[in-house]
Amino acid sequence: MRILRNVLVVFLLWFISLGSVVAGDATSQKATIQVDGLSCPFCAYGLEKNLKKVKGIESVDIDMKTGKATVIIQSDMHVDNQALRQAVKKAGFTARDIARH
Amino acid sequence: MLNYKIQTHSLWMVVLLLNISTVDISHAGPITFNSALPVSEGVGILRSQVKLTRKTGDITSQNRNLMVTAVPLVLAYGFSPKLALFGVLPYVDKRMDITIANKRVRRQTNGLGDGKFFARYTIYQVDKPGDTLRIAPFAGLKVPTGAHNKRDALGVLPRPLQSGSGSWDPFAGITLTRQTLDWELDAAASYQLNSKASGFEFGDEARFDASFQYRIVPQSLDDVGVPAFIYAVLESNLIWNGKNKLAGTTDINSGGTRWNLVPGLQYVTRRYVLETAIQLPVVQRLNGTALETDWVWSAGMRWNF
Repeated sequence: MRILRNVLVVFLLWFISLGSVVAGDATSQKATIQVDGLSCPFCAYGLEKNLKKVKGIESVDIDMKTGKATVIIQSDMHVDNQALRQAVKKAGFTARDIARH
Repeated sequence: MLNYKIQTHSLWMVVLLLNISTVDISHAGPITFNSALPVSEGVGILRSQVKLTRKTGDITSQNRNLMVTAVPLVLAYGFSPKLALFGVLPYVDKRMDITIANKRVRRQTNGLGDGKFFARYTIYQVDKPGDTLRIAPFAGLKVPTGAHNKRDALGVLPRPLQSGSGSWDPFAGITLTRQTLDWELDAAASYQLNSKASGFEFGDEARFDASFQYRIVPQSLDDVGVPAFIYAVLESNLIWNGKNKLAGTTDINSGGTRWNLVPGLQYVTRRYVLETAIQLPVVQRLNGTALETDWVWSAGMRWNF
């Protein structure tokens, strides 16, 4: 009985740690771009569309007040900063800092 | 007979064509002219508008009243981050009530108007957080897609009442935009060189436009994301038209200068814009007996795709 309990505890700990690893991977695939020149809601769509065209980007969230675009990148993909800068440029804006989380 | 023809043509054409051709074709920004705001690469913008123009106050015995309804359809496409291409195709309906031999008659036409195709290129751009300054020249061609030989029961309609001009007319200009999260300032200057078609030549047109927009809703940007904005808009259009020519003769009753003030409202979201404005003439110094504009009201939408 004690053996069974220990096995269950170990399995539970393994499962929890696995979950945190997966969660850790997901958060590590997030980047925030400071976009200069973005000053009206209608312009935000072009930025969103061009960022979504980058292979590996899952979703895009734009915050008008701070001028920040946060992208979620698929966990099995790598998207470099140059690709993000290029997408912002295609939208007609200027990418300043890019922070990885 | 020649004088009558010149007068008939000139009285109507100056403002008729102006009101159809001066459609703002740009991104969100001014309502009556173009801005320098970006059209992102690979993004299209469709714009549709209803524009009503009323002209009365004829000082001649013809007592002409004119109502023009124009529905221009505009397509913009971002070819690159700096180069945007534009096309405009209007549907027009023109109704003119006129006294002929003591009898009140209505002459009217409708159909496709003249199209416009042009390109705009951003030559100067300074971006800061929530702030942009851009300068972009543009150039294009007005093409005679509208008919200029329609008839009614009284015969061939006067050229100004036709839905098209029949001529190929190049135009060029430059536009400047400074936009922040709170306000936007635009200025534009342009010139259209009108050419002869079927013996008739409209006077050239020069414009100087300015616009100021202020965000009235939301008052502060507390919400995260992309909130919808409501802008209060005040625009100014200074328009000069040269004299027309018929069979090589200059029409002294054509051309002139107008200055409009244009209050308006814009509701701007991430995907679409709803807007309305009314052009109110402040000064109209028209040559001869040309009709003055009472008002021009427009309402429209723009859609990002």
